[in-house]
Parts: sequence; C-alpha cells; structure tokens
Amino acid sequence: MDRALRMAKEALENGEVPVGCLMVYNNEILGKGRNEVNETKNATRHAEMVAIDQVLDWCHQHDKDPAEVFAHTVLYVTVEPCIMCAAALRLMKIPLVVYGCQNERFGGCGSVLNISSANLTDTGEPFQCIAGYRAEEAVDMLKTFYRQENPNAPKSKVRKKECSK
Amino acid sequence: PAGPGAMEPDYKRRKMQELDDPPWEALLVLPELESQEVELILAYAAPVLLKTETSRLVQQLSAARPLTELPHLKRVRARGGTQPLEVLLCLASPSQDTGALQTLSELLPDGQVDICGLGEPFLVQVPARAPLTRPQFEEAARHWPTAFHENKRTSQALAGQLFTPQDKAAMQGHMEQAIHAARQGAELGMVPVGAAVVDTATGRVLAVGHDCRKGLHPLLHATMVCIDLVACGQGGGAYSYHDYPACTFLPSDEHAVSGDGLPYICSGYDLYLTREPCAMCAMALVHSRIQRVFYGVASPHGALGTRYRIHGRKDLNHRYEVFRGILEGPCQRLGQEVAS
Ligand SMILES: [Zn+2]
Ligand SMILES: [Zn+2]
Repeated sequence: MDRALRMAKEALENGEVPVGCLMVYNNEILGKGRNEVNETKNATRHAEMVAIDQVLDWCHQHDKDPAEVFAHTVLYVTVEPCIMCAAALRLMKIPLVVYGCQNERFGGCGSVLNISSANLTDTGEPFQCIAGYRAEEAVDMLKTFYRQENPNAPKSKVRKKECSK
Repeated sequence: PAGPGAMEPDYKRRKMQELDDPPWEALLVLPELESQEVELILAYAAPVLLKTETSRLVQQLSAARPLTELPHLKRVRARGGTQPLEVLLCLASPSQDTGALQTLSELLPDGQVDICGLGEPFLVQVPARAPLTRPQFEEAARHWPTAFHENKRTSQALAGQLFTPQDKAAMQGHMEQAIHAARQGAELGMVPVGAAVVDTATGRVLAVGHDCRKGLHPLLHATMVCIDLVACGQGGGAYSYHDYPACTFLPSDEHAVSGDGLPYICSGYDLYLTREPCAMCAMALVHSRIQRVFYGVASPHGALGTRYRIHGRKDLNHRYEVFRGILEGPCQRLGQEVAS
C-alpha cells in the first residue's frame, strides 16, 4: 500500500487524479498503475485499467495463462474503484481488492453502486473488498488535488478536472 | 472468412429478413427516478360533510398542517356522485397501526382547525413524490389528486415522436455501420457487437469499431474500442488496431487545436451500439461525457435500462440520454448469425 500511495503522489505531480494501485501475484508486483487520462486523452485510463494491461503484458512475456494469474492476484488501490473499474475487475476475475478511502463520487464497491458483489451473470465474478487501509493519506491526496489550481487554467477547468476519477 | 460468392446468399437472406421486420422505434430509456413505480405513503383524510365548510377547512388545514414536503398533493378530492368531498388532514406517522385509527381531536389537538363539518378520519395512500412522466402521473392520480408539470420532451420521446423521418434515416445509417463492423469483427472470431461514434453537430462518423475482447484485449468491448478510437483521432489512444481493419477513426484536427487538454473527448457525440452495454462500458461513457447512446437490443444484465440505469443517476457527475430499439431486428439477429 506504501507503493500504491507513492504512485498516487506521482500522479498528483503529473496533474492526474492521485490514485495509485498495484497488482500483486504470488508476492510479486506484476502491475503498477496510476491515472493516465490526460496523457492518452482517454477518460477510461484509470490506474486499475493501466495496471490490468501491465499484468496482461507480463503474462504474454512469461507465457502464463492470464486467467490463472488474475485468479490469484490481489489489487491494492488507494481509492475505492469506480463503477467502471469495479466492473473491469469483475471481468478479469480478480478475487480480492484492498483499498484506502471511499470513492463517494463514482465508487463501484458500495459507495454509488455495489458492482463488486452484485449478481451479474455476464459481467465476470464478484470480488471481495477490504476497505479503509491508510484511508486518511489517500483522502488527503485527493483533497490536495481538488484544491490545487493549475495556474494556466481558468478555475472552471480545474473544477471539471476533479471529476475524472 | 467467406468469399464474395458465399457472402451473397447471406446478404440476400438478411435483406429478406429485414423486409419482414416491423418498423423500428427509438424508445427513450428513462433514468432511474422517472422509471420508478409511484411510491406511496400513508396519510389521514376525512370526508367534508358540510360542503359549505370546505374552503374554511382547507384554509385552516393548510395553515396548521402544511404539506411542505409534498407540494404536489392537492388538498381536496371529489369522489363523484353523491359522495362528500374528502380533505387531506396530515401524514400518518411511519409507525401508524392501520388497525387503530386516531380520532379528529387526536389528529388536530391544538384547536387551530375547527373540526366542524369534518367526518370520521380514515387512512389513505398518497403519492410520496411529484410524478415525472405522464404514466407516473396517471398512476399517482388513481391514489390521490396530484399536480403534474409535464416535461414535453420526455412525453414526446416516450410516445416515439421525438425524431423526424430524416433523423431516423440518419440514425439507421449510423446503426448500419455499427452492424457492419460487428459482422466484420465476427469474421475474425470476435463477439458480434459493433459501435459507431457520431459528432452530433456535423453528423460525421468519427469512429467505428467492433468488440475485440477475444483478440486484442479482454476489456475491449465495442464501447471501450470506440472511446479509444476517438482518443486516437485526437492524437491519444491506448491501443493499436492495425490487426482489426474494421476499427477505424477519423483524425480530427479541430479538437487538437481547440482542445484544452481535458479528456472529455466524447462530449457532444452520440454512440450507436448494437446491444446494451455492460456496467463497465456504461460508466466509461459517463467518464467520457457522451451526449446520447442509441442501442439496438437489450442485454441480460445491461447497465442502460435492464439491470442498471447508469446514464440517469443524479449522484453521478454526468448524465446522458439513452434510446433503445434502433434497427432492433438486425441487431437481435447478430448473435444468431454467429451461433449458426
Ligand atoms: Zn475507475
Ligand atoms: Zn462492456
């Protein structure tokens, strides 16, 4: 979780929403993600989606079956995954997610919708959540981000930006 | 992949089926609250036995027991015939025992309402919220007279009168592109779902794609492909589609110039999708600020009408309109074409 928080800080320094995550398989970190929404101009490039891609790359490089790897992977993420990411984690069949603070705006593990545990037969498998681990640090970073003003952008744009997680 | 000779009977068969399809309608998929059934709460009412007391009673009750939370409720209802008018006294407490009714003096103990002319109080179910659609209004009014401020556009959309024949012809053309992409994807072994993104202002098709979950990436459902293709068109994008020639985008220089660095690349755009998207895709469209979604057929656990209505939630920071039923017949048959 330390490393996830460091990644979130890195995102913050790059002007992205400060969310960081790690994918851990057999005590090995296979994926590290932070938001890449601005770089790719793709609003779906959340930390979790980036990390999933890294695990898939690792599987290809090491000739492993992604289904087997994801079934034994734990996601550590600083903020509760949003509805989109929660559905993506289900589709990848990740069994366990450990997260820091709640995501009141978009949370898919109970805050807005409960995608993580819902009975959805065509959207992968439900996963277990462990919430609240070092939540305060994660919240502080989000607050800093929302307060932070880009000196080049009018206020309204900064305001809009905070909505991308 | 079938050669042109083998394609022809297929094509002819499809054309024949399409002639048999009933004309399609674009049906508005209402957001959560508007599609809900009418929620009822328990209230006390009483008959007005002396008709001449009605206006005084209404005045005194409105002052002493204002229905501040329920301004949509009318105070009086007429049951018709020789039956007396009935007046709403107050809401019942949530723990009200329907077997043990309170008396008038218990309900109005402070003397602010002169109970002269009132009959025995009774319990009645009244609508808890103002109706948002005409069907809700009609349902609500069956319980207690209710005010209704009709949203003309919603009513038109529900009646299928929102789009002109020209609109529908354009919509059909866009959905045909999505269907074509779905078939081309299916020939490569992909799940037969296709999508197209259209700039609402210019009518230009900016991206066309098909589901790539069985090839490029397990999360590249047709919607995710199209969002990424639009990003590609604006100099971004996360994936490369050169193995999937039916996934195409229109490079857009306008956005690169006017772009303010914000990734809400789909604002002002419509998405055509052959079938209702899953929760991941529906939420990806919230993040991308899509304007409207048109899909062909519902999915068993779809997130835009069937299982969830992610497009219309007040607690999310963006909402979009959804219509279903566009070229429903051909979209429905996409799955079967592959199965056979
Ligand atoms: Zn997310
Ligand atoms: Zn999907």
